[in-house]
Amino acid sequence: MASTAESEAAVSLADVTKTYDMGGTVYALRDLSLEVPRGSYTAVMGPSGSGKSTLLNLVGCLDTPTEGGLTVDGADVVAMSDRERTRLRGGEIGFVFQTFNLMPKLTAAENVALPMVFQGVSRGERSTRAAELLEQVGLGDRTGHRPNELSGGQRQRVAIARALANDPTLLLADEPTGNLDTETGREIMALFERLYQRGNTILVVTHERDIAEHAERIVHLLDGELERVETVDERRTPETDAALAADVSGDGASGAEGETTAAAESDSASATEEA
Amino acid sequence: MEFVQSLRMAWSAIRSHKLRSALTTLGVVIGIAAVITFVTLGASLQAAVIGDVGGDQPPVVNVWAGPEDAVGSGQGGPGFGAQPVLTQHDVDRLERLNGVDSVDPYGRVATTALEYGGDRVASDGIVAVTPAYLEDEPLGEGRYFESGTREAVLNPRAAEQFDTNVTVGSELTITLANGSTRAVTVVGILEESTSTGPFEGFSTSPRVYVPVDTFYTDTVTTPTTGEQARVYRTISVTATGHGALPDVQDRVRSYLEEDSDAAQLVPSGYVFAVRTNEELVAQIQSLLDQLTGFVTGIALLSLLVGSIGIANIMLVSVTERTREIGIMKAVGAQRRDVLQLFLVEASIIGAIGAVLGTLLGIAGGWAATSLLDFPLEFPLEWFGIAVAVGMLVGVLAGLYPAWNASRLDPIESLRYE
Repeated sequence: MASTAESEAAVSLADVTKTYDMGGTVYALRDLSLEVPRGSYTAVMGPSGSGKSTLLNLVGCLDTPTEGGLTVDGADVVAMSDRERTRLRGGEIGFVFQTFNLMPKLTAAENVALPMVFQGVSRGERSTRAAELLEQVGLGDRTGHRPNELSGGQRQRVAIARALANDPTLLLADEPTGNLDTETGREIMALFERLYQRGNTILVVTHERDIAEHAERIVHLLDGELERVETVDERRTPETDAALAADVSGDGASGAEGETTAAAESDSASATEEA
Repeated sequence: MEFVQSLRMAWSAIRSHKLRSALTTLGVVIGIAAVITFVTLGASLQAAVIGDVGGDQPPVVNVWAGPEDAVGSGQGGPGFGAQPVLTQHDVDRLERLNGVDSVDPYGRVATTALEYGGDRVASDGIVAVTPAYLEDEPLGEGRYFESGTREAVLNPRAAEQFDTNVTVGSELTITLANGSTRAVTVVGILEESTSTGPFEGFSTSPRVYVPVDTFYTDTVTTPTTGEQARVYRTISVTATGHGALPDVQDRVRSYLEEDSDAAQLVPSGYVFAVRTNEELVAQIQSLLDQLTGFVTGIALLSLLVGSIGIANIMLVSVTERTREIGIMKAVGAQRRDVLQLFLVEASIIGAIGAVLGTLLGIAGGWAATSLLDFPLEFPLEWFGIAVAVGMLVGVLAGLYPAWNASRLDPIESLRYE
């Protein structure tokens, strides 16, 4: 499957319709066709109720279309059993959530290793890979910390490392900066940029224009239908972001100062979240 | 997911709620401990009551006239409610039956106290028997008493109950229930204190044996001969061998029911019990089994409560960890992975509870038997059963919550606050 899949799109939706029965048929998605090429960076935008979450659930193999075709990594998701779909999700999809969704009782390394547990990766291999991945996201010195001992940005880095654990076909991010302050959000987007540069396929769902502009193209959804696909001519990158940040703050806040503020803010954010 | 990993994750979940897990485990501990304590107590009680008597029995038929319902249902134990209907004449006639080796009347003389060397101890009765009755009991020292004498044989427990130990040649003073006293000379001390027959009960207790013809005074006018003669409540008929025992049992019964003095003396509502030693032991055993079964049943109820505790806490735990379950499913956990995780968690609680409960139960059994002065007897097979049941309880109690957890929808779970 994987060998023939090389030429195919990472994800392909063909006339996908998703309806929910809520005392009447509600269309969450209607006749949506979309291809996510391998190695691409796509953003999905739209107001709430536009079908963003439904699209995310379908692409993430958490749900199945009511009608239409869906392939992930060349495999027909619609025809799959629940078991096969879970296996595909664990192996080929990496989730990054707005609220991080780390296991609170597990350490950073254990969280990163978790997806490998369910794919039958050996214990030794798991811990080696988890350490590598945490090193990659800049948390090599935080492997033994639990989520409540980490700042918001650090938590999201752990979540990204976890998403990469099984070397998935697609990295699926749902408002990845939604619970972070601007500076930390920028750092996370810089991390996504690096992953994109290294060949990962990324799909980001967001309602923020400046986050979406990091992608190559933006898919606009409205009322469950594809409104338009916009190609981003001038992609935002960490460099342009930094320049922009310097402009806004005038004299250009020092990096160290910015980081302290970011950590403090994200700490208070996480405190609220836990309460 | 490999089993070791699920153990590790389940253990970490248990440890993250130490108090809650400990209390849940305590429920199982109490249940298992109660079961172990009661079965130990039951086995020890059995050992105390039946003791060595459970082994090879002499070919003896025990005879008494007891209340119809008690004899019929086998309740009350050997000699329960026995009436003085078996005359000396009956004893002589029974002795002449085919296959009978000897007939030994067994009488009890009511007393209030025994006195030796100025030390007076309470005693509710002494045993009046023929010399033949004691013949098979090995002597520790001295000799057996002779008929018609004021001699006595003591068992070691009886000899040791005074300030100074009774020895052969000692003089004992016996205070009878009517207040009069009798002096006896101790001529022998038995080797062991175990019961010499079913009518004594089966326990190890102090006993004084005296000649029946000297001390036993209950008499009646014999219906067939019109003579005044001794009358007994209980007698033991010894057959010539085990082969002859069933026939002897039948002959004794038909003699008693047809032309004995006893048949004429027996009050209405009373019937003859003609039981071999084996039957009596089996009867007591079944009584004790019933008793043990009953208290163990109550103990099992507490184990049931413990298992409900596990189920309850696992249900709470599943609800509480809905979001975690959603995360696990999102990163590729199969339904059976989630099922396994929660089942393992419940089983760990059950297993720990079973092991601790067994230890506590052993301690409890030991404490109870030493308090009641029973010989400690551990029913080892029950320990195995208890541990197995504890784990089974964990699995069963965890089954429904785990199944619930495995069926959670990942999308809903991730949204759960």
